[in-house]
Amino acid sequence: MRPPGTRRWRRTAAAVVVATAVATTGACASDGSGDGVTTLNFFQFKGEALEDFDAIIAAFEDENPDIRVVQNQVADADTIIRTLLVKGKAPDVITLNANGNFGRLAEAGVFHDFRGDPVLDTINPAVQTILTDLGTSGDEVNGLAYVNNANGVIYNAEIFEEQGLEVPTTWDELVAVCDALQEAGITPFYGTLADAWTTLPSFNGLGAYAAQDGFFDDLRAQGEDVGPDSPVSFEKDFADVLERQAQLFGYMQEGYRGRTYDDGNAAFASGDAAMLLQGIWALSPIKQANPDLRAEIFPYPSDAPDDRLLVSGVDVAVTVPKDGAHHEEAMRFVEFLFETRVVEEFAASQNMVPSVEGAQLSDDPALQSVKPYFDDGRLAGFVDHQIPPSIPLAAIDQQFLFDGDARSALATLDNEWRKVAARTIPVTED
Amino acid sequence: MAAQTPTAGVQAPPHEDTPRTRRPRRLAQSTFYWMVWPALILFAAFHTLPVLTGIFYSLTNYAGYGDWNFVGLANYGNLFGDDRVLQAYGFSFLFAIVATIVTNVISLAIAMGLNAKIVARNFFRGVYFVPYVLAILVIGYVFQFFFSSSLPKILSSWPLFRDNILTNETWAWTAIVVLAVWQACAFSIIIYLSGLQTIPRELYEAASLDGAKAWRQFRSITFPLISAFFTINVVLSLKSFLQVFDPIVALTNGGPGTSTESVTLLIFRGGFSGGEFAYQTANAVIFFVVITVVSLVQFRVLQRREADF
Repeated sequence: MRPPGTRRWRRTAAAVVVATAVATTGACASDGSGDGVTTLNFFQFKGEALEDFDAIIAAFEDENPDIRVVQNQVADADTIIRTLLVKGKAPDVITLNANGNFGRLAEAGVFHDFRGDPVLDTINPAVQTILTDLGTSGDEVNGLAYVNNANGVIYNAEIFEEQGLEVPTTWDELVAVCDALQEAGITPFYGTLADAWTTLPSFNGLGAYAAQDGFFDDLRAQGEDVGPDSPVSFEKDFADVLERQAQLFGYMQEGYRGRTYDDGNAAFASGDAAMLLQGIWALSPIKQANPDLRAEIFPYPSDAPDDRLLVSGVDVAVTVPKDGAHHEEAMRFVEFLFETRVVEEFAASQNMVPSVEGAQLSDDPALQSVKPYFDDGRLAGFVDHQIPPSIPLAAIDQQFLFDGDARSALATLDNEWRKVAARTIPVTED
Repeated sequence: MAAQTPTAGVQAPPHEDTPRTRRPRRLAQSTFYWMVWPALILFAAFHTLPVLTGIFYSLTNYAGYGDWNFVGLANYGNLFGDDRVLQAYGFSFLFAIVATIVTNVISLAIAMGLNAKIVARNFFRGVYFVPYVLAILVIGYVFQFFFSSSLPKILSSWPLFRDNILTNETWAWTAIVVLAVWQACAFSIIIYLSGLQTIPRELYEAASLDGAKAWRQFRSITFPLISAFFTINVVLSLKSFLQVFDPIVALTNGGPGTSTESVTLLIFRGGFSGGEFAYQTANAVIFFVVITVVSLVQFRVLQRREADF
């Protein structure tokens, strides 16, 4: 038995916690229902997009005087949205980074089903598929892709022109380009192995080919039985991926093991290396260091030029909660967000690719270089979004690039997958 | 300590006939209750209750949100077969033992120095306490810069340091030891200093009259007389080094690979970003038991060798 005092204390403590959470997210913004103005609580995860959304909200409020939108930009949005949803205090409009966490929230059935909403038809289907692949509640569509990133090889177009090199379309061409650069005394890639996560872009780019044809669906179906003898496994299907990744890391500058992501961007910006195994997100720090640099992107090549796929993730996904109190107003705001000129302006400012069909990209050469892949729908999702976050993928990959033991790295991945499958005990309905 | 132990047989027979009348014990004034209750309630609310809640959740499959079921001891069973967990325990113990030894050797030496008659003694005492005041994460980033940028330039002829020791799978942990010891020494020095000040000066005078040199004085007087402080220091350091977290986050974040992943880092990562809340809570419960047992055993062993005086 608990003394009654403790219970009171606990209640007080809980109240304090809730009050703090509410205060930090501003979830209690007053409704203002008296004057017929609805206040929408807009949950926004992207710190660098704060001002862009302020501008969008101002324009929206001008057109819709009966709606007021309050932007709540929070750090660590993934954790906070989880607590808010569990407490039933879902914000009216939500933007999130579409990672594995988004997929699990969608599976939990907390988001609205967008099937049948006209706004869904305006979105590039290839991009929307990437979002749906992360996880949904049944057959529903639980989020809308807003802007996308591109994960590929960033290259210095000037160096390529000076050396008379073409953008490689096959794996062998890429190797040839690297050899040619090395002969010319230019470092092909700038490696940044000190930050474990910087191994992931190339793993995702190369792994996308191995993960085609429902690799992860099969892997999930096998669960605890994944191993060298199962129909699909990392040991079976990812050996080439690691081999090629190690080959690329063989073209890195001296001392790449000790350099960090920031070092890599600075070095690439000053022309110390011809290529960088990163994504579109690295362009903004590179441009800051050297605004005149002509950086463009090509996808990781496969064996045949026509097979090439660009790995892209939904950088900003928009969704609204299931049965929200202001659903109609929230949808008006969402539709406004997806208006072509709004998304165009936002994407250009954020260096991203808009998901709305027909929306134009900014004339940045890097974005223009990946445009055909979006137009043709030759896209693949991030491999690491399919791998449970409790598997230390970045650490395992980093370890492999340090010691070169591919067999052990793949066995570790299979082993971790098995263990996670074994200890993930599904919630049963009573 | 030893005086309290009753010797069997020589005690006076207990007055069993007057248990009720012989109790002049008056309860303390209510003021003292006012002092105790708030602390007790706060302790229960913010310590005991969360621990019990944690133990409860370790028996479920709660992901941190959504629905959950009661799963019995399944999480504990899975823990024992998880080689990543075992590796984390191995790292934590290796790290803690090395760091404890280094910390205590260094801080005892510094404490002796600070206790001697030296110029600007109070200034030095203040200086050595500074690391304890600074936030470890802030200092951690300074150290990280030092290890990854300064040291490779200073010791560029030494491959281990030139290639950034933090990314060396075999030796990265030593860099964490350096940071952890650097900070932990401040607190140990304070405890040793207070211990050293309990030793009467006359003992040393008498010893030096007998011709004992400094090392002999340390071995036969100083160390035995501060052994209680030694016990406290060793137990506390081992306990806090086992729970090492922020120096790792600041320096290597568990890398390269998972070679510097401590138990606490694993619990944090797996539980919060990995979405395995219940599983890692079970890990935390086991870790709590392990630390408690290790500390108690240490106390027992070390206290037995303490000098009685």
